[in-house]
Amino acid sequence: MPWDDYLEGSPADAESLAVSQPAMSRRSMLRTTAGAGAASLIAGAALGTAAPAVAAARPAKRARSADSPRPASDEQVVVHVRNARSGEMDVFAGTSQTRLVDPDLAARLVQAAR
Amino acid sequence: MSSHREAPEISQDPVADSTDVYAFVSPDRPGMVTLIANYIPLQEPAGGPNFYEFGDDVLYDINIDNTGDGRPDIIYQFRFTTRTRNEDTFLYNTGPITSLRSGNWNRRQFYTVTRIQHGKAQVLGSGLACPPCNIGPLSTPNYKALAAEAIHTLGDIKVFAGQRAEGFYVDLGSIFDLADLRPFQTLHDQYGFHAFSKNAPGANGTNRLNVHSIAIQVPNWQLTRTRNPSADDPRAVIGVWTSACRQKVRLWDADNGRNVDSGPFRQVSRLGNPLVNEVLIPLGKKDRWNTLAPAEDKYFAEYFAHPGLAGLLPVLYPGVFPKLAGLVKSGQPRADLEAILLTGIPHGIIPGFQNSMGSTLADMLRLNTAIPPAHSPHILGLIGGDAAGFPNGRRVFDDVVTIELRAIAGVTYPLINKSYQPDGAAGLITDGLTPSSVSNGYQHSFPYLGTPYGGYYNPS
Repeated sequence: MPWDDYLEGSPADAESLAVSQPAMSRRSMLRTTAGAGAASLIAGAALGTAAPAVAAARPAKRARSADSPRPASDEQVVVHVRNARSGEMDVFAGTSQTRLVDPDLAARLVQAAR
Repeated sequence: MSSHREAPEISQDPVADSTDVYAFVSPDRPGMVTLIANYIPLQEPAGGPNFYEFGDDVLYDINIDNTGDGRPDIIYQFRFTTRTRNEDTFLYNTGPITSLRSGNWNRRQFYTVTRIQHGKAQVLGSGLACPPCNIGPLSTPNYKALAAEAIHTLGDIKVFAGQRAEGFYVDLGSIFDLADLRPFQTLHDQYGFHAFSKNAPGANGTNRLNVHSIAIQVPNWQLTRTRNPSADDPRAVIGVWTSACRQKVRLWDADNGRNVDSGPFRQVSRLGNPLVNEVLIPLGKKDRWNTLAPAEDKYFAEYFAHPGLAGLLPVLYPGVFPKLAGLVKSGQPRADLEAILLTGIPHGIIPGFQNSMGSTLADMLRLNTAIPPAHSPHILGLIGGDAAGFPNGRRVFDDVVTIELRAIAGVTYPLINKSYQPDGAAGLITDGLTPSSVSNGYQHSFPYLGTPYGGYYNPS
């Protein structure tokens, strides 16, 4: 068994195979030859409050990335307003992320957060 | 440390903090490759009553690149689920845990293993039990047997996920104290403090601490591009790294006292070769490095070509590394380190050896699966004349600290410049530890890392 020397319960054996590491003097060491966009606001909301706001907003640009299908309706939704002025937002639900650009909605969320 | 608490962000998130990766041809089953990814660093064994466990909210991956592009071709993905039997007790266990089905074990963890290849996911096993943590002689009276129960066979694959003894040995105290390596501390500049009048043996800063291991043993042919390639065939080589992902959003639901996670999973931690993010990547870029795939490592190439530690050694040890100082001053890039850590060592550098799949700069643990296990392994691996050890993959007992210290000190530079004569000290430098510095040692078979230290006896 090649690894026997390093096995549990055999520290003495392991020591015998271990590379010798004597304390070195400067002289011996020297003479030895070498061998070798910042987040602006995070708003958390249950779907029941966030979804109507999204629905009421004017048509928004969106880009969706997801690791799985659209989340079930009982899942929580988190909205991250990245830039209130431009209306750029991320909406997170389940394992999905949707990028929205909706200045009106962003403005209302910021207002609601104050 | 190898990669324990190596970057500011991940140091705040232990369950997603990868600490070590191992990849080797199994010594007792040479047709099988063993891959191990460790998480949750520096576990104090008595750390109850909420003992250590994997994150149910973390996606753990062991990635394999067999085409050389620094991106995963095969992923073994592990997801965990924790179950509490009785929420009306504060106890982890209400009596001795004598089997994984014991009713006395209150807080259990299970997992699913999925293999992902070419975008297709195949569940290899689910509902697989982890062992409990090693608590003490009354709670976990026969720990070895308990842990053995948690080795699951899934066809021709074995898996294990649970607590293990830390097998990585390193003198943390000396390395982080401005690299005053104890065996050579009298040679250190000491900043005028005269702190050391004599040299001393190394002290293993990770001894008697535990980690959580995810281990999988897979037939070689399931990892390589082709069956039975010869050792000089680049198709015998695989690149291995681990990564951990979290969902992008975490919200503290104060009303219910729990976190709510949302959004797609994104990488928060990765690890291939030991000590890369720890030692080579500068502080301001470590967190970013942790979010990227190895394929992006070209953006960090300068830190491999001009490692900061190579410049520090001649300063910290005046007069000991004059040739290294000259090499650093010359501005010549360290193509030797680039080969070892970023591309693998191609044909023609070391007679009879290669572990390269091409020229893509990617920090992966590269294993030539056609090189058989060594009958007399050397803990210094390739620089000790043992082609089955680091940086050809990494075995659990390889002395990666000494190997990398010596490589950075110039021992491997002659591989690409035969006229370079390293300093004598470069072939001797070490933190002074060996596998015997690990109290619980290693095991001769899967999962190879030793029995975790029990809380009753540690500290003692």
